[in-house]
Amino acid sequence: MSLATKPVTVALAAIPNSGKTTLFNRLTGSSQTTGNWPGVSVEQKSGTFTLGEYCITLTDLPGAYALSPVTEEEQVVRDYFLQSPPDIILNLLDARNLYRGLGLTLQLALSGLPMVVAVNMMDEARRQGISPDFNVLAQHLGVPVIGLSAKKGEGVSDLEDALYGVIKDPGETRIAHISCPPLLEKAFFQLSEAINQADIDTRLDHTFLAMCLLEEDDQKQWVDNDKVVSLTRQWHRRLKHSLKTSVPIACANCRFNAARGLALEVLRGQPVMEDKFSKQLDHIFLHRFLGLPIFCLLMFLLFQGVYSVGAPLQELLAAGFDKVGSMLASQAMILSLPTLLQSFLFDGLWQGMAVVTSFFPIIALFFLFMSLIEDSGYMARAAFLMDRLMHRLGLDGKAFISILLGYGCNVPAVMGTRILSSSYSRMLTMLLIPFTLCTARLQIFVFLTAMFFSPAIAPWIILSLYVCSFMAVVLVGLVLKLFRIGGNPEPFIMEIPPYRLPTLRSISLRTWYELKDFLSRAATLIVAGVLIVWLLIHIPSDVPPASAATWAGQLGQLLAPVFQPLGIDWQETVALIFGFIAKEIVIGGLAVIYGGSDLTGQMSSHITPLQSISFMLFCLLYTPCVATIAAIWSESRSIRITLLSLVSGLGLAWITSFVFYQTGLLLGFY
Amino acid sequence: MTTAQHMPVSALQVQSECTILSLGPDEKTAQRLAQMGILPGTHLRIIRVAPFGGTIEVTCDQGQSFALRQEEVAAMTCDPVAMPLASELVTVGQTYRIRVLLGGKNFRQRMEREGFRKGGFIQIRETGVKPIPVHLVDMDRQIELGEGEAKKIIVEVISHESGD
Repeated sequence: MSLATKPVTVALAAIPNSGKTTLFNRLTGSSQTTGNWPGVSVEQKSGTFTLGEYCITLTDLPGAYALSPVTEEEQVVRDYFLQSPPDIILNLLDARNLYRGLGLTLQLALSGLPMVVAVNMMDEARRQGISPDFNVLAQHLGVPVIGLSAKKGEGVSDLEDALYGVIKDPGETRIAHISCPPLLEKAFFQLSEAINQADIDTRLDHTFLAMCLLEEDDQKQWVDNDKVVSLTRQWHRRLKHSLKTSVPIACANCRFNAARGLALEVLRGQPVMEDKFSKQLDHIFLHRFLGLPIFCLLMFLLFQGVYSVGAPLQELLAAGFDKVGSMLASQAMILSLPTLLQSFLFDGLWQGMAVVTSFFPIIALFFLFMSLIEDSGYMARAAFLMDRLMHRLGLDGKAFISILLGYGCNVPAVMGTRILSSSYSRMLTMLLIPFTLCTARLQIFVFLTAMFFSPAIAPWIILSLYVCSFMAVVLVGLVLKLFRIGGNPEPFIMEIPPYRLPTLRSISLRTWYELKDFLSRAATLIVAGVLIVWLLIHIPSDVPPASAATWAGQLGQLLAPVFQPLGIDWQETVALIFGFIAKEIVIGGLAVIYGGSDLTGQMSSHITPLQSISFMLFCLLYTPCVATIAAIWSESRSIRITLLSLVSGLGLAWITSFVFYQTGLLLGFY
Repeated sequence: MTTAQHMPVSALQVQSECTILSLGPDEKTAQRLAQMGILPGTHLRIIRVAPFGGTIEVTCDQGQSFALRQEEVAAMTCDPVAMPLASELVTVGQTYRIRVLLGGKNFRQRMEREGFRKGGFIQIRETGVKPIPVHLVDMDRQIELGEGEAKKIIVEVISHESGD
């Protein structure tokens, strides 16, 4: 088949931690689009570039160890290969440890699709004294093999040449062979014969298809041929019985036996050197006693780095937005518009854009530091240190960092869940983050405690709210784990990669893509949310905004029976609606609702201290702000998870405030 | 003749080495391990235990490092190959070969003066007592070792030679 007449699809496939993203960025530059694979929370990235007369679409497949799936990511990769095989596979290996990746490479080499293998991290392999013989590898796999360093950019043009060569002339594919137990070989042979006879339309090699089918539990999904399916099932049972192990494990065994020998030959028998540098660093970072203090120090620096630098920038941006807004609003052309439209433009649309923009500094800083921690290899160490604690909540150690950063701002923390290894822990962490006490909520609490309590007591109340937030995270975590709400946990075995020096280029690229992503995925939702709140507050237009006669006011009064037992009046209920835009707006909302100049006096005559604490508890736990919801939606792509987050927050907030307020009343507080 | 001992990987102390015999009954976990290249026959070394316990770091013979949890290592069975002399797995009557002396230069030199050199054969005379009575087979010498010292001497199992 000639590929020359049509655009070419290339799939980038590799096991995790082999520098896939860096190579992807090298090849595609800025032409990337991101989304999710259909129906799952796995990110889909693709980009285009041209090679001579060909327009290449490169799909970055999720990291996978094999085509017989254990994780959701691997299911995506398996589905992709079986349903819509690419024109060419670009497989990536880590030169520092060929054996790790060769299992997948060998499996892909059996597929019969044209393939190019790139051996990445050659710069670091040389430093460790490793010099693989690519000719041997190319001969055994029957495909071109190119050594490169995606980080430094060396060898990338050779790879492009090799890809071009394969597209131009795919040649006759010589399919590699790995030896398996005779019974397994017989099964492959018989099944591939059956596939041959069934005349199944596929570009995949029939033996490869036979292997894939044998490793599956549900073959019907892949071939619509009863004869093939029943034969596969027959063999499946027979193999399981006589091999005394499952078929995927038996197949993995064959592949890695071949991989071991191949790695030995390619490295000309050089022993695998251990990375002295990593070993020495681990002596410090994973030290029995020093490990945790160092971790805490790094987390402190991370938190401060993101939020101490980010918050002033955020304020600066907000002030700038305000200034430009009021400047625009005073233009004669704008002033000639009806008042309601003016308000819509500035209190609605402009405000919504301001909310979106205000997240830029912290998201940028967040991903800057996050990529630093992740690319350097420290993330895996941090996960190792915290694994035991987080495992109790059914999470892996990496989730700790996400949840911790939620205490600064929920939005980047939710976006950061994509570094987690399994869909299960991503969902769970996403549902837990909204219960962390972010700085926006802190602003409400500082304001209200100063209003209702003496300076000696106020800090203790805030501290108790932190404890309360922490308890909510643990409690909800345990409940979610108990009811398996995030789906079924996947077996989690984490690789601890060698340390690497991250490059400025890769970190800044990553940050840039994340910002772009936030803008394209979450921005519209955030603006829409702000506009809904604007509508509630300003309609009907002939009464003062947020007053009793507006929709928001009416809603507040309608909900009064629900909030009465919590000691929350309808005015505060309306403020909570404001809080949906961003929690810190609750204070501004209260000022608008009470409408006077002396907010403190008005509120303290209206609300008792007990009621104020009940209100704060509700603020802490109720529905996350619209930006967090947007982030949860864009990360999970699941209505169920997004709704669950809304409902669990409201439910827990109501129960907590109710119990607190009623107990307080019973005990005689007011 | 060597008969492989079957024991859970979790029974091994830090710095022990073993050959994996089975990956445990949980199919998905076993499949994950297999696809990462950890298979029956793979040689594992226990590197360290996480500060809160429960999770251990291991490296395999091909140089990768992994974090494994208690439930996984308890389900995997292995044949211990090497272990610290202080390990409970070291038995009376069995001859061991000294694989490596850990610790600082001073410790190594002191131990070498005492006759503990790499490759030397040793046996222990009694288990469960401290200090540990050790018999240096080559020199036919008896020495007592503190537990701290015994932890730093890694010994490997040699075959149960006939007539020994």
